[in-house]
Formats: sequence, structure tokens, C-alpha cells
Amino acid sequence: MKPSRRQLFGYAGAAAAGAAVTGGAVVALDKDTPAPAPVSRNIDPYGDRQPAITAPSPRHGELVAFNLLPGTDKAALARLLRLWSADVVALGNGRPAPGDTAPELATANVALTTTVGFGPKVFELAGQKQAGPDELPVMRHDRLQDGWSGGDLLILVGADDELSVVHAVRRFVADARPFATPAWRQSGFWNGTGPDGKPVTGRNLFGQVDGTGNPAVGTPEFDATVWAADGGTTLVVRRIKLNLDTWDELTRSEQERAIGRKLSTGAPLTGTAEHDELDLEARDADGRPMIAANAHARLSHHSENDGRRIFRKGLNYVHDTGTTRESGLIFLSYQADITGQFFPLLARLDAADALNEWTTTIGSAVFAIPPGFQPGGWIGQKLLG
Amino acid sequence: MKLLAATIAVALPVLLSSCGTAEAPKPVAAAQTPRVLIEDAWVRATVGTKDTTMTAAFMALTNPGNADIKLISATSPVAGMVQLHEMAMKDGKMVMQEKAGGVSVPAASHAHLSPGGDHIMLMDLKKPLKPGDEVPLTLKFSDNTTHDLTVPVKAFTEEEEHYHPTPTAK
Repeated sequence: MKPSRRQLFGYAGAAAAGAAVTGGAVVALDKDTPAPAPVSRNIDPYGDRQPAITAPSPRHGELVAFNLLPGTDKAALARLLRLWSADVVALGNGRPAPGDTAPELATANVALTTTVGFGPKVFELAGQKQAGPDELPVMRHDRLQDGWSGGDLLILVGADDELSVVHAVRRFVADARPFATPAWRQSGFWNGTGPDGKPVTGRNLFGQVDGTGNPAVGTPEFDATVWAADGGTTLVVRRIKLNLDTWDELTRSEQERAIGRKLSTGAPLTGTAEHDELDLEARDADGRPMIAANAHARLSHHSENDGRRIFRKGLNYVHDTGTTRESGLIFLSYQADITGQFFPLLARLDAADALNEWTTTIGSAVFAIPPGFQPGGWIGQKLLG
Repeated sequence: MKLLAATIAVALPVLLSSCGTAEAPKPVAAAQTPRVLIEDAWVRATVGTKDTTMTAAFMALTNPGNADIKLISATSPVAGMVQLHEMAMKDGKMVMQEKAGGVSVPAASHAHLSPGGDHIMLMDLKKPLKPGDEVPLTLKFSDNTTHDLTVPVKAFTEEEEHYHPTPTAK
């Protein structure tokens, strides 16, 4: 059905009201002027690659890791992935999932995406060797809890509306019931939009601009960092508890020294704008490095890591037990090769990062992210079809 | 600044409802006679229900062409008999009956087969269907096209199980 003139006018009218507030001209729609095409905020669920990775960070995200039930063999896993693929498409287009018990909660234009990941068991069932490691070695600063670690399958749902995220996750969990059961769930939030409506890097709960060093989507650097030869990638999920109480006891300059960047803009302590290159050689009047030897930005910088890069996306989280609040970051890192890219960086940060004093990783999981799929296809078809 | 943020929030997510799909199908030249698109197909599980010998299949049918098309029949190896059904008011009661002439999918529009509405009735099931199963289903349309589907079975509680009466007296 074509959108009616009323629907188009409703949309254009709302946009014009926004323009008026920002000082732009109010656009009058007269009835002889064709209405502008409506802008869809749906993200195409189809494609060579799963779309969420290159999409802007969603405002809300939830991750659910699943363990396969003992009876789930390769054929059953393929049925689950066909089922989920249909859900991914319907929900991403704002339609209820097939057999949705609360169809009214499916909403279009909330930029909903679903990413599906595979743990080691999936490769075992497929009779194939997983390309990367199936878990990370435990780091000296890690205090890993089983309840936040591992998993055979992953669903990561993101959207700009939390109700839509929760609804979609409910469908994925319900549809998985004959095949798999949740092992852990984590949800978080991110604000990647500035007060002027423009995209920004976003901040973690320490107040730091977080993710400045990422390769930019669409650049050869990004492609080389993220995509493996098969069009997939890998995802590391680390649940990092932040000790805000002791962090808050620091002065601002102590906080800035720990990361090597300014809290105000995220600019390096040697620069003025967020994306200024770090000057790792610069020294202050006393001859000390402006960006400290143990500053997070120095230790994680690609120039200090033989050019190794990762692509990070974060979700802040809070976890309340009664009146006690735990705060943290769900650290998500995409890279073509965990062993070659992520692990050396992690080991280096674990050994020396100043931030280790206020951060503790309590969960860790690794997933292969298979390529996307086209109409008529399904996630994981190449591996399990 | 607060006012601006609020206005943006209102301006962005105004929705276009188009019978369930976000993209409006565009009518195309008759010469191309595009096939009906089938999305969101599923079958209700029967395990644990009162009558495990019958169920229904549901889906969204989209006709991107400029001529009406009808779904005229369906078959499945899991069912002894498959019929196209509608719900209709008869003597003040909602009853299910065979849909004469099939299910119309109007040009540049949709038909939704859904619980409580038109549906594909699968009868004389050879065995109960469990959530997580898949069912082959073949649909025939008035444009002489045939669509072979593999349809997932999902748990779903029907409004009133008895509105699907047993077709043959036992």
C-alpha cells in the first residue's frame, strides 16, 4: 500500500517544525507540490555482511548468549538459524516476527538491527575448524564470572528504542526455545548523538569520549581491520566493571593522565580536537611525556602496536542489586583476526594500562560473526546448509 | 536546547504504516508480471493442543504487479488435506469456512493470512507438529505460479481451539 498523502504530510510537517526551531525556513507544503519521499530509518537486514557492524551505535542494545540444548544437532541448528533469519528480516523492517504474540510492539524506523554470532560449538556441529580462538586467555586483571562468559550462540539486538529491543529479544529467545537456552544476557545504552543532532563518538560512564581511535567506516583501513576473507568478522564481548567511587576521587588532571586525552573533547593531551593525532614524543616543561607511558590512549594506539587495530563499539551498563549499583561498559570489539589483532593489544593493556586500577573485566566471550544473507538465504547457510 | 532535543525526538520517528511492510511496492508494467512475494510464513504447533490433527499456516503475501492475483490452493506432505479458509459471521457466530475462489492478493497491495483471519488450513496431520519443526508447503496462484516454501512451526495459543472443528466425524 502506498503511504497516503496524510501520512506523508504528517511526516513532512513534523520535520518542518524541527526546522523552525533550528532557525531554518518553515517549509510549506502546498497541495500541488509532490510530497517528498519519506525517509526510512530501517536498516536493511539483508546484505553481504551483517549490517549492525557498520551502522551507527544504537541507543539501546541487548546481548543474549545461548547454550545449545543437548539434542540440537547440525540439522536442528540450521532450522533455528532459518527461523532467526526470518525474525531478523521482519523485525528489522518493523514487522512483527512470524507468530509474534505481541505484534503491536514491532515498530518501524527505530534503526533496529540484529547480529548473530557463533561460539565454538557451532563449528563443532558443522564439522569445521573455527578460524580463531574459541576463548581468550585469562588476563592478570580479569575476575571472570561464568555467568557473563562463553556461549554457543549470540544474538545482539540494537535499536534507538528500548521497547523495540526488548520485544525483539523476547522473540529470539522464544523461537530458540526448542533448540537453545539463554546462558547470559547483558543490556546497555549509548548516546552517539550530540545536542545538535549530529553523530558523536559517545562517552562511557567515566565521562571519557570512548572510541575515538576507531578506523572510520567506509575506509580501506576499516575493511582491513574488520572483515575476514569470508565476509565475516569476530566479536569479543568483555563486561568491564568500572569503579566509579575511586575514579571520582581523582582530580580531573589525574583522570586525563590515565587515558592521555582531555575529558572535555576527547582530544589528546597534545592536541586540541578529538581526532588530532597523538604526539607520543611530546614532553612537558619538566621533560615528562605529555601522554604518559601508561596512558590508555598511548598503549592502545596502533603506532605502538605494530599497526594493529580493532573496531570498538560500547554499551554502558548499570546493574542494580537492591540499592547497590554496579556501573560498567560492555566492551565490544570487532576484528578480522582475534589472535593477530585483539590479543596482543589486550595483553599489552593488561600489563600496563593505567586504567586497570579502576576497571575489572568480569565477563569475556568470543564469537565468530558470519557473513550476512540475501533474500531466500539465511544466516550461517554456508557453514550449516 | 531541551526544546530542540524534544522536537527532534518528535520529528524523527513518525511512522508510515503500510499494511505491515515499510517499503511500498511499486506497480510495474504488466509485461513483467512479477510473482507474489511471500514473507513471514509460519505454522502453529499442535503438540499439547486439544486437536493435534489440524493446524493452520499464516503469512504475508505481497503482489508487486498491477493485476490482482489469487492464491488458489495449497498442499503439504504433512497434511492429508489442505484448504484455504476464512472466518465469517454466521447467525451471530464467528465460524470458519472454506474461502470460495481463494485468497485475493490485490495489485500493488498485500494479503495477510493471520490467526483469526484468512488462513491455510492443514487437516489430517500425519503427526503432531512441534515448535522447531519445519513443514514443506506448496502454494498455487492464479498467475500459474507455484511457490515451494519451507515453513517453521511455532508455538502459539489460538483464541478458541474449537473454531477449527474436526472435519470428519469419528
